[in-house]
Amino acid sequence: MLEAEATADMLLMTQPFSAPKIEDQPVEVALVKAVINGERDRFARLYEMYAPLVHGILLARVPRDEVDDLVQDIFLHALKKLHTLRDPKAFAPWIAMMARNRAMDFYRTSRQTVEVTEQMAIARSPNRTAKEILDLIRQLPDAYRETLVLRFVEGMTGPEIASRTGLTPASVRVNLHRGMKLLREKIGIV
Amino acid sequence: MNDNYLWDRSGEPDPTVQELEEILGTLRYQPRALEIPNDIGLRGNRTFLAKLAIAAAIGLFAIAFGLWVNFNRHQTVPAVESRHDSPAEQKKNDTPAQSAPNTGNGAQLAVVKKPTPANVQKRRRDPGRTLVAQNKNPDSAPRPSTLTPQELAEKEQVLLALRLVSAKLNLAQRKTQGLPQSNLIRNQHKIG
Repeated sequence: MLEAEATADMLLMTQPFSAPKIEDQPVEVALVKAVINGERDRFARLYEMYAPLVHGILLARVPRDEVDDLVQDIFLHALKKLHTLRDPKAFAPWIAMMARNRAMDFYRTSRQTVEVTEQMAIARSPNRTAKEILDLIRQLPDAYRETLVLRFVEGMTGPEIASRTGLTPASVRVNLHRGMKLLREKIGIV
Repeated sequence: MNDNYLWDRSGEPDPTVQELEEILGTLRYQPRALEIPNDIGLRGNRTFLAKLAIAAAIGLFAIAFGLWVNFNRHQTVPAVESRHDSPAEQKKNDTPAQSAPNTGNGAQLAVVKKPTPANVQKRRRDPGRTLVAQNKNPDSAPRPSTLTPQELAEKEQVLLALRLVSAKLNLAQRKTQGLPQSNLIRNQHKIG
């Protein structure tokens, strides 16, 4: 009953929550325009702002050892293709989608990856390491694992996740709630 | 269950969420400088080159179209001019040929101007035109006879003699070939 009420509160948005912080948006637009006009040094600032987002999206999908190099590759690719971005305000969702596509390409091209099996996930230990919990999160559906990684690993709040991924706050809130419920079940905390 | 802490870290902290934050926080992104190679081109150069290429293509197309139109105009104009050649111009063209007999010793030379291909094509295309020859040139119309009555009588005698000779030759030919004699009455009007 309590869970149902919480879900209803989230869907109806009856609970007060802080609005998404859009204070970075004007900076982001100005940076994108400056880079398009030839000021390549400004792209470093965009990289600093959005590297955690790309890192979290990749960490939810690809092996941790590959993430750092892929982050660099994605930003370099974004620099090449930045002129195709029509709306500078949409830089964050644009690069987030680029990261998701790159993660899919990673599994298409590399065949030497090891899938996390159910048996590996079931093996529980009292003192779980970060890698084990991350492996459990990776077994969740895409929408849940990406939101949970951004929340727990990168330390973003729900509104920040919504503003940077382009999802609605309600969707992010539902994903956090349902993903956390599934994660509790996998960890053994109900 | 209060999810506010999970949502925006407000409200009462959830111990499980706090524990997950502490454990998974060790995997957080570690800032690393972005190394941008110098060979990565930016949009400005590409845009300028693309616009330049488009402008060059449009210019070449315009030049090619202009040349094509000009070439076609030069090909069609002579045909149109010959098709609409007026009779007055034809007469003007015929004048030197017709004046030639006057310069000679009175000999009647028939000068026929060869029709141009355009005129021939025009005649073929005209469906209402008949095959009856029409002499529209007043200069070439038959002139009235200028013979005297004596000359006319002599002309009639020569024609009669020719008809008699022709009839006798015809009769001799039939006799030699063994054919029956034709009815002389039938050709009586020829003999006169």
